[in-house]
Amino acid sequence: MTHPNQSILALYAGRDLGWFARRRTERHLSRCRECRDEVQAFGAARDNLVALNELPAISWNRLAIEMKANIRLGLAAGECVRGERRAGRFALWEMLSGGRALTAGASVVALVAAGLFLQRPAPVAPPAVATESAVLRATANGIELHQGGQTLSLLHVRSDDAIYSAGAQGSMRAGYVDSDTGNVTINNLYVQ
Amino acid sequence: MSSKLAIVFVAAATALCAQETPLDNSVKINLPPDSPLTLISANLGESHVSQRGSAVVLDLDVTLTLHNSSPNRVRGVTLLVAAQEVTPGGKASVSVPSLDVPPSQNFPVRINLRLLRPAQIAGGPLVQVNLDGVLFQDYSFYGPNRLDSRRAMTAWEMQAQRDRRYFKSILAARGLEGLKQAMLESLNRQAERPRLDVQVSRGPAVTSAAVGERNVRFAFLRFPGEPVEPVEGWAEIAGNEARNPRIDVRNLSSQQVRAVEIDWIVSDRQGKQYMAGSVPASGPTFNLKAGNTSRVLQDSALCFSHLAKDGGAPLSIAGMTGFVGQVEFADGKVWIPNRESLANAQLLGILEPSPEEQRLTDLYRKKGPKALADELSKF
Repeated sequence: MTHPNQSILALYAGRDLGWFARRRTERHLSRCRECRDEVQAFGAARDNLVALNELPAISWNRLAIEMKANIRLGLAAGECVRGERRAGRFALWEMLSGGRALTAGASVVALVAAGLFLQRPAPVAPPAVATESAVLRATANGIELHQGGQTLSLLHVRSDDAIYSAGAQGSMRAGYVDSDTGNVTINNLYVQ
Repeated sequence: MSSKLAIVFVAAATALCAQETPLDNSVKINLPPDSPLTLISANLGESHVSQRGSAVVLDLDVTLTLHNSSPNRVRGVTLLVAAQEVTPGGKASVSVPSLDVPPSQNFPVRINLRLLRPAQIAGGPLVQVNLDGVLFQDYSFYGPNRLDSRRAMTAWEMQAQRDRRYFKSILAARGLEGLKQAMLESLNRQAERPRLDVQVSRGPAVTSAAVGERNVRFAFLRFPGEPVEPVEGWAEIAGNEARNPRIDVRNLSSQQVRAVEIDWIVSDRQGKQYMAGSVPASGPTFNLKAGNTSRVLQDSALCFSHLAKDGGAPLSIAGMTGFVGQVEFADGKVWIPNRESLANAQLLGILEPSPEEQRLTDLYRKKGPKALADELSKF
């Protein structure tokens, strides 16, 4: 038997699975005690998290100061371990030369380029509706009026052949014989 | 492996289906309380709304069953279709001319519409269908006529009467064989009629065709007995684009004219002629009293190209011809050219057939000359 992985069971316990995955997991749980226990454990963990929310507030500023102090302490300890290997201007020059400097420089350039790319002003789309004129045309199976991303079509799906005519006042007409009723139908589109 | 593929396929199909929703109450049919037509049913068929990327698509395939509750025979109906949030100023209509619906009878009207709009626009898709007009056998009209459908439906009905008279006269003179011959000629004309791909735009020019723009004058065809004559006219032509047609017309009749429609033909450098469209003038700004001259003018651009199956190349416009296609008088009566005038001017092979001729030839093609003769004997 193939068991669902831990993340699926955790998502199931939190009711965060999609419909299809939930149904599949339920089917597996109905016949797998081991996974049911896992789900129960995840449920219990969720309850504990709720309880944790009720703990008194943590002083984040104090915690940050302590962390910074620890980092400084770690750096100082590192310098002690390196001993008196190189010192002064020469050590600094070594740090800035060779492969490491090249990598660092490339990283900085990439960072700046990415920043510029993400922050560049987005191109402003022209207001299509305001400037685009309404156009009437015949298509393969009807006539259509198109303006500003909107299209209104009258179709003649029940006829093989239609006769189109245009009106200079801004109209388009398609006349056809409806194959079901035998009646002539004339579709008209107008633009003002 | 195959079972995993099947699961993926089922999941994808489920997701796809989940994106499509039925329309339910998103379509509203409005008929006035005193309407001569009553709505019996509205079948939404497979109408649905779906999400395609960042756009919402409304596919409406509705069949309305209407009931003629008037004492007159219905000859035509026009429905105004308004889609919520659609392009500003855009409207649609569906007309069914060439009907013959007696009182107390039902008839279907189909609307097949697709609306595509960005998903960001708030509000659900809603289509409203309103009655714009009903034309009766005696040319009386009911409806708000917002789309000038009275003139259009009256002209279609007059064309229907004209063409039925023509085919009935052939049947009477030459029998079924003569009718068959006339139908084959009509079908042949419809198949051979030179056609163009036309694009109409209003507002700023679609192309930057202003370079090389020139004014081209219309040549006019005259018909005996026409109540309005074209005097002069021109349009701005640049390449395959014709803009802002203006035509001066004179009222030769003794009645006031409230609408004129000039039919427009363009020709290429080889002299081949194509039906380009029409230049109508109507509404409160157009008023043509007896003996007066007025201007038919439209602020629009028409782009002409050959059909995709013919290569789709832009048509280089070399000349333009116009003639009076319709005149509506102040009392609502409409004048159209008779069939002899059109034949004499060799226009039958260029003009689109009337809706009735289209219907009759389709009936002949599907059911033969006997069914057509039965149809012609009805009225």
